[in-house]
Amino acid sequence: MNRTVLFVGLLIAAVLVAILFLGLGKDPSEIRSPLIGKPAPSFALREVGTGRTVDVTQFKGKPMVINFWATWCAPCWEEHPVLVANARMLQPDVQFLGVVFQDKEDKILGFLNERGTSYPTVVDEAGKTAIAYGVGGVPETFFLDANGVIRAKYAGPMSPDILRENLQKAMKQ
Amino acid sequence: MLAPLGRILILASLFAAAAGAFIGFYAGRTRSAEGLKWARRFAYGYAAAIVAATLVMVYALLVHDFSVSYVAHVGSTQVPTWVTVVSLWSSLEGSILFWGLVLGAYITIATFFTRGKYEEYQPDAIGVWLACAAFFSFLIAGPANPFHTVLSPPLDGPGPNPLLQNHVLMAIHPPFLYLGYVGMTIPFGFACAALIKGRLGHNVLKPIRESLMLPWIFQSVAIMLGGWWAYEVLGWGGYWAWDPVENASLLPWLTATAALHSIMVVERRGILKGWTITLIQATFLLVILGTFMTRSGVFNSVHSFTQSAIGPTILGFLAAALLFTIGLLAFRIDKLEVEGRMEGAASREAMFLVNNLIFVLLTFTVLIGTVFPLIVEAVKGKQMSVGRPYFDSMTVPLGALLLFILGVGPALPWGRANAAQIKKALLPPLIGAIVFVAAGYAFGARTPWTLLTLAFGGYAAQVTLGQMFIPMLQRMKNGDSFGTAFVDGQLRRGRRRFGSYIVHASVVIVVIAIAISSSMRQQMELHFAKGQTLQAGGYDLTFVGVEERTEPHRLSTIGIFTIAKNGKQVARLEPRMNQYQMMREPIGSPDVHSTALRDVYISLSNIDAANETASITVFISPFIVWIWLAVIALALGALFALIPPRRPAVILSPSAATSKDPVPNDAAAETA
Amino acid sequence: MTIVLLLLLQLNVPDAAQFVGPPKGTPITGEALFARTNEVGQLLRCPVCQGMSIADSPAEMAVNMKAQVRELLARGYTEEQILKYFELSYGEFVLLRPKSRVLWMLPLLALILGAAVVFIKLRKLEKNEPPTANRQPPTDDPYLSRVRDLVSGGKQ
Repeated sequence: MNRTVLFVGLLIAAVLVAILFLGLGKDPSEIRSPLIGKPAPSFALREVGTGRTVDVTQFKGKPMVINFWATWCAPCWEEHPVLVANARMLQPDVQFLGVVFQDKEDKILGFLNERGTSYPTVVDEAGKTAIAYGVGGVPETFFLDANGVIRAKYAGPMSPDILRENLQKAMKQ
Repeated sequence: MLAPLGRILILASLFAAAAGAFIGFYAGRTRSAEGLKWARRFAYGYAAAIVAATLVMVYALLVHDFSVSYVAHVGSTQVPTWVTVVSLWSSLEGSILFWGLVLGAYITIATFFTRGKYEEYQPDAIGVWLACAAFFSFLIAGPANPFHTVLSPPLDGPGPNPLLQNHVLMAIHPPFLYLGYVGMTIPFGFACAALIKGRLGHNVLKPIRESLMLPWIFQSVAIMLGGWWAYEVLGWGGYWAWDPVENASLLPWLTATAALHSIMVVERRGILKGWTITLIQATFLLVILGTFMTRSGVFNSVHSFTQSAIGPTILGFLAAALLFTIGLLAFRIDKLEVEGRMEGAASREAMFLVNNLIFVLLTFTVLIGTVFPLIVEAVKGKQMSVGRPYFDSMTVPLGALLLFILGVGPALPWGRANAAQIKKALLPPLIGAIVFVAAGYAFGARTPWTLLTLAFGGYAAQVTLGQMFIPMLQRMKNGDSFGTAFVDGQLRRGRRRFGSYIVHASVVIVVIAIAISSSMRQQMELHFAKGQTLQAGGYDLTFVGVEERTEPHRLSTIGIFTIAKNGKQVARLEPRMNQYQMMREPIGSPDVHSTALRDVYISLSNIDAANETASITVFISPFIVWIWLAVIALALGALFALIPPRRPAVILSPSAATSKDPVPNDAAAETA
Repeated sequence: MTIVLLLLLQLNVPDAAQFVGPPKGTPITGEALFARTNEVGQLLRCPVCQGMSIADSPAEMAVNMKAQVRELLARGYTEEQILKYFELSYGEFVLLRPKSRVLWMLPLLALILGAAVVFIKLRKLEKNEPPTANRQPPTDDPYLSRVRDLVSGGKQ
């Protein structure tokens, strides 16, 4: 019996199968954010409709929920009522902010007028804010604590439970 | 009706394969001729069942029977007939059924052509083939069942993924891939049988070589077609992205190529048996790994089928196959290495060893690059990527080294050679190297790697052409005409060698074409208003206008361009943006004008029908078509080598020495 | 143009400066800018595509990122800074050229190991005793070698 072949072969096989097994069940397209625990990039963008500038630093002192979305994204439609209701409930202790990119202003206005809103929505020209936040797709929601540090990120449509869970992380600080 | 029928046929195929595998291994242990006969019958039975099941599915697709779950999943009354046919392999369950079909065909052919021969190895080989077949039938019967009955069938279906309806290559590339992949089961079976028996007899080398060569040809063409398809359809101007699934298709090709070379040394010198067998086993295991990677959802790839429950099952099979193979190798490999020796380091045999090494290194590098992100995530929980910069840096030097061996290896004689012989073999082709470098330089090549590739390529070209024509010149000196020397010497008697020269020459062309087309590519971004003409790489591009075309499944916005050179119009290109109903972002489709010298490739980045403006990216790459054409030449050369030789009148057994009749059995007539 | 300027004065988009400080290189323009954007773009992965670089991908996200790269290059940011910026917001995932030294060393180690194995194998094979029937010079002729095979009583 050739011990080298046996040993080397079993080693390679074991490592390979183990890695592939661990890979199963993970979603390779889900990217984890490196910004957690770091200060949120600051930005000041134009609010849709009113045209006034909303600066994210003006909300320092309260926890924030920043939601990146767009009108063409189906899950964003699903989560919108959840966000609106929660924003209304949690005001003025928690500040909600919506950021739209890769979209047209008239479409955004139409959407908001039709479905209502309870918090400011700003437009991210050229998606630069999205890039700074490491946004890969929509919807993605960031939870900031009162000091402006990102405590959680969730990619996907918001549900009341997910919102609560992540907000707790932000409120702990 | 069709769904239950399909299910029954699949279950029949599973039974036939499982029973046949069992009988095969049993016959192998007891050396029962009757057992072998039954194993063969079950092999044919399996094939019949799986072919029938596939025909049922194709029929169901064509008549749009939406009560069959797979048809409901990918069928559509709105798509052309050819799309309906190719939807057989467009989605996961159908693709496994297609796998079964191809495997059934291969097992039939292999079982048929081994009748009455290699009886020592047949039972175990059939056992292995049918065991693999049983696994795939199990998949089709269970986790990947395309024959579920849909209780309330819809009136119409969504059709296959629109991206797969874009190009006729969807009808060709996947079948070639499967013919290449699945076919590796056959040599795997032979190799396992040899290991089980503890013998790699000279007679069984031929079926191993041939059953390795045919799928290899399909694989080579399939990989080329994949690249060509990506080039024509995706719009980024490239043909190889080191995507995990692309890598998965490359890995078995690398080890199979190494095995095809290594087996030559076994044939001539009786050495390297263990290495050759290991390479064949590795090829099959990499095929299974590849199919896991494509279907498990573990890897982020353009080619992945959607995630499904099938992943863990295939992983289980891979683990079992690995254990079986490693066990066999560990316990049996030492029995194979018998006699034979190598004469020296500067010999052709030694070059084969180096050749093996380089191919294995390439395989290792591509494999490790592909799975490394998984390793890191498992160990550190961190996500990272390994992309083109890594793969290119690693494979370009190794590829250059391979090209070097392709020249030096065949130049060296077999066995021990003295310094004078070596000099005589190795020095003259340097002329070829210089000629190619000079030509390349004149053409405009300046990158060091490209010039090095040209040098190695020129060297190899001279060696290959020399080996092709010098024996012919010899014959002509002895009085034969060129025609006789060529037809008789090369085409009739020396098919295997002539074929291999074509293959090597084609490889030289492919590698040089890849090097030049990448390093000398020009890329430009141009913005046009209607009617405007702009210059690009010696051509005049004119934006004629926008056209919108509505098709049942998509809306195309086409930018019409004409290309002119020296005032004369050369081509009309229509790159487009396709908006499919099912997808949010439009998908661009480029258009290419290909000539022998270069390709002009236009990809739309932006098109405005209202304002009649267009922004494009233009790629001008020299020699691209030679990549595709040379691989086709490679395939033809290899096919030519597979044509069986004429049986010459060679008298071999002492008892027949007195008769003038050729001895018509394998042992006598096996030459090339 | 003026509107844009006015808007820019009021607005403040998050900037690379927040992440990597001021530009460390010289600003580039024209043809060189186009070429460099492509080169750096080849090193960054499009987060919404399957493995493509932002230079090659037509996705809107990738186009935005490429525009950002172009702007940063024009302002004089170095390749290192730009890569660092994207790494800080997206994670190491976005770098197509892996940072892991282990990964870059592995093929080299494999080469050395493999060369050693080949060398040992070569030696072992050279030491083998040639079978008595094989003391003839090796040949290229397939017929002759086949005949020898069989005449020598067969190797197998």
